[in-house]
Amino acid sequence: MIQRIENLRAFIRAGKHFGFRHTPEDYGLDRLATHFAEAGLPPVQRSSRMLRALLNAEMPIILEGEKIVATRTISRIPSVFTEEEWARIREKHTLHERGTVSNISADYEGILRDGLGKRKAQVLERAKDPDLNEDQRQFLSAAVESIEAVQDFIQKYRDCVRSAGLEDIARVLSNIHSGGAATLWEALQLLRMVHFALWESDCYHNTLGRFDQYIYPYYRADKAAGRVTDEEAFDLIEEFFLTCNKDSDLYVGMQQGDNGQSIVLAGRNEKGEYLFNEVSKMCLKASYELNLIDPKINLRCDAHTPLDVFVQGAHLTKRGLGFPQYDNDDVVIPGLEKLGYSPEDARNYVVAACWEFIIPKNGMEIVNIDALSFAGVVSNALEHLGEYDSYEAFYAYVDRCIKAECDRITQAHNNLYIVPAPFMSMLMGGTIEKAQDISLGGNSNNYGVHGTGLSTAADSLEVIKKYYFEEKTLSLEELMDAIHHNFKGHEALQEHLRNDAPKMGLDLEEPDSIGAALLNSFAEGLRGKRNERGGIWRAGTGTAMYYIFHAKDLPATPDGRFAGEVIPANFTPSMFLRQKGPVSVMRSFSKQKLEDTINGGPLTIELDESIFRNEESVEKLAMLIRSYIRLGGHQLQLNTLNRETLLDAKAHPELHRDLIVRVWGWSGYFVELDECYQDHIIERIKYKI
Amino acid sequence: MDGIIFSIEEFAINDGPGIRTTVFLKGCPLRCAWCHNPEGWRSEPEKMLKKGREELCGYRISAVDLSKRLSRDRDLFRESGGGVTFTGGEPLQQAPFLCEVMDDLEGIHKAVETSGYAPEEAFRSVLERADCTLFDIKLVDSALHRQYTGVGNEPILRNLKTLIASGKPFVARIPLIPGVNDTRENMEATASLLQGAEGLQRVELLRYNRVTGAKYPMVGLTYRPPFDENQAPVVHDVFTGRGMKLLVL
Repeated sequence: MIQRIENLRAFIRAGKHFGFRHTPEDYGLDRLATHFAEAGLPPVQRSSRMLRALLNAEMPIILEGEKIVATRTISRIPSVFTEEEWARIREKHTLHERGTVSNISADYEGILRDGLGKRKAQVLERAKDPDLNEDQRQFLSAAVESIEAVQDFIQKYRDCVRSAGLEDIARVLSNIHSGGAATLWEALQLLRMVHFALWESDCYHNTLGRFDQYIYPYYRADKAAGRVTDEEAFDLIEEFFLTCNKDSDLYVGMQQGDNGQSIVLAGRNEKGEYLFNEVSKMCLKASYELNLIDPKINLRCDAHTPLDVFVQGAHLTKRGLGFPQYDNDDVVIPGLEKLGYSPEDARNYVVAACWEFIIPKNGMEIVNIDALSFAGVVSNALEHLGEYDSYEAFYAYVDRCIKAECDRITQAHNNLYIVPAPFMSMLMGGTIEKAQDISLGGNSNNYGVHGTGLSTAADSLEVIKKYYFEEKTLSLEELMDAIHHNFKGHEALQEHLRNDAPKMGLDLEEPDSIGAALLNSFAEGLRGKRNERGGIWRAGTGTAMYYIFHAKDLPATPDGRFAGEVIPANFTPSMFLRQKGPVSVMRSFSKQKLEDTINGGPLTIELDESIFRNEESVEKLAMLIRSYIRLGGHQLQLNTLNRETLLDAKAHPELHRDLIVRVWGWSGYFVELDECYQDHIIERIKYKI
Repeated sequence: MDGIIFSIEEFAINDGPGIRTTVFLKGCPLRCAWCHNPEGWRSEPEKMLKKGREELCGYRISAVDLSKRLSRDRDLFRESGGGVTFTGGEPLQQAPFLCEVMDDLEGIHKAVETSGYAPEEAFRSVLERADCTLFDIKLVDSALHRQYTGVGNEPILRNLKTLIASGKPFVARIPLIPGVNDTRENMEATASLLQGAEGLQRVELLRYNRVTGAKYPMVGLTYRPPFDENQAPVVHDVFTGRGMKLLVL
């Protein structure tokens, strides 16, 4: 990292630029919604008017040494509606989360190529159509206002840097005011401005898509023209990554850091070429050097991805940032095609804020609209266990219950309202042709449903199958009494179920095939159904925060879990698994027909940073990752952990079952170690630099 | 035939090349003062207290079942240049069982980690089947060896000679125990034993770690190291100067 970037990083990490911030109240922006209401302004025009007002109020700030400018100075984005208006909207509509556009992937490639001026010209051209209705005209005029607001903002920055004598930055800003990017620097600066404006528009979880693919042409052109060296290109990319961390404390999510700034590297094109380029490589390196949470990196790979790419990924995994996340093209692309995406769109997939697969430009999906609780369904079905005389008959009942739950979910989301986003609309496909805001729908409008507690459900069914139906060592009375009394008086049974019963993650035929059956029921339950926006419903293996919500009200389960006790997050083994090892876990969690449940949701494995003491382990980890991909896993997330995590694991072992530690000449699972070992390791890490 | 093992660890990263599964065979003739696997000493399965829960440590398994379990990952081993590593305990204590398992693992890379303390016959039979040997050399001085491990090192040095003479690939592993064997003198003597060994791939120094004692109470033993375990072991690199590859873990 060069000194210039190092200084910028220190400045930003210290939050020294927070001092430039003002509240909306300082400028009276908090009263805008009231004015809009009084003037009877339509929602789409409120959005563009608000964006203009906010960008007008933004103060241009140039940090020492910056080449890529734009720093947020307004601490909060006010709503375009008053509280009373929101109350009325809620009476008639449902809202998804905060009610604004989120979690989609803009067409950065197109805007960098065309520039804001061309987009504005396209809108003005479309506005000439005499057949447009009032809504369409309002939308197009809001779109123009939004673009002009962003252009004015760029101009304000240009004037500021020019008066500061920073002529080279001023030239970049002049060029991108209307035009598309011609150089790497211009591309990154335009990207910064556009991304900045999305956040300023109150859109959130603004992903960054296939950064290496849409940035590469500018890098290549610069290189060919001799305008930039690899070192200079790297510094620019690193600086762009840094800009993603400038204002991120203001970006809203479930938790700090949950801001959706994901980028997706590589992938294979229609000619079968693997697209890991110089920029992809620089991204991994920049992320490693910066050691910051944003942007969050995904690496698209497949069975034939060169080992060296996995090694570069594993090297970053070693850093302990919890990424890259690995996405398997061999499973994801066919899965998306089966859902009806065109081959071109499927090949172009990226991830939303976490791991949900979405399509840049064309997907206006709501990938996390609801969640199915597998464990909840099984728990309810259990009350009717006595009515069935074979496991097959009982599972057929569970299957019906899952499908009934899918019916309930698909009927529960109607009259959805989303606040218009005219600027985001300029970055999405079909909006100008239709003269319609993206909030009303894009080229695809699919809904995604998470699936929580899969292993808890599969392990519970396995207990019922094995001990109740087959071996008959567990009576209906004993099981139900244990469940209803939270295992009180059944402690020995509970211990047996938790510790000895077969579980997903051990690479056993039985619980793994039950897991597969549950996922199939889920996929079938959603297949063929349409949502009110004309889109389909996608089943997934992720949990988001639902694994907390769903666990809370869940009674005791046959896998030995107490009522209210946590369930695993995402596509991972039970908390009670007495680990056989990562290879068995990977085998267990790749047998299912994952392309049919392709909303997203990774197998998550935790590694202790001590395994990287041996440099050779980076390559070994790379081979392990490749193995998961070759086994047919769809998505993999690896966490390298440190002392704080270990302390947390000691206090809450049930949340850290997969944490691997190096003890001396062997690796073990931290939570399986005795307390004395745990303390020793925590002690040891304390003295590590 | 049957053998007794006490653990199978997947993705063992320090036990040889590539992705490996390590099998721990139960029973050991040595009682090294720094041993971190005391549950590997006794040859029979025994009770072990894990988190207040009594469990059986060690179980009987047939060579056929074990090799079947290990062969599951054949493809993964081949792709990664990895394989299976047998350790213990002292795996050579169950040499006929070990040989049978190894014979069943045709086409899979096999490594054996051994103290070298075994009858020559047993050592040769396993060496013949191993693709790589991880050979522990604790102390060159036999009296000191007896003092700290309970046995003299004559069979070990004899088997080391056999190993070197075979020309087969091996890694020399030296646990670094503070104040016991981390002297320049012992390291020089060790290096001299290895000098000129064609099969030597590298020397690995494994630093003593203070978590060693933790398992003793779990199998009803008390850990009393006859050295100061708070002292960091000294790393004398007398190996690279002699043209040997060194890795400190």
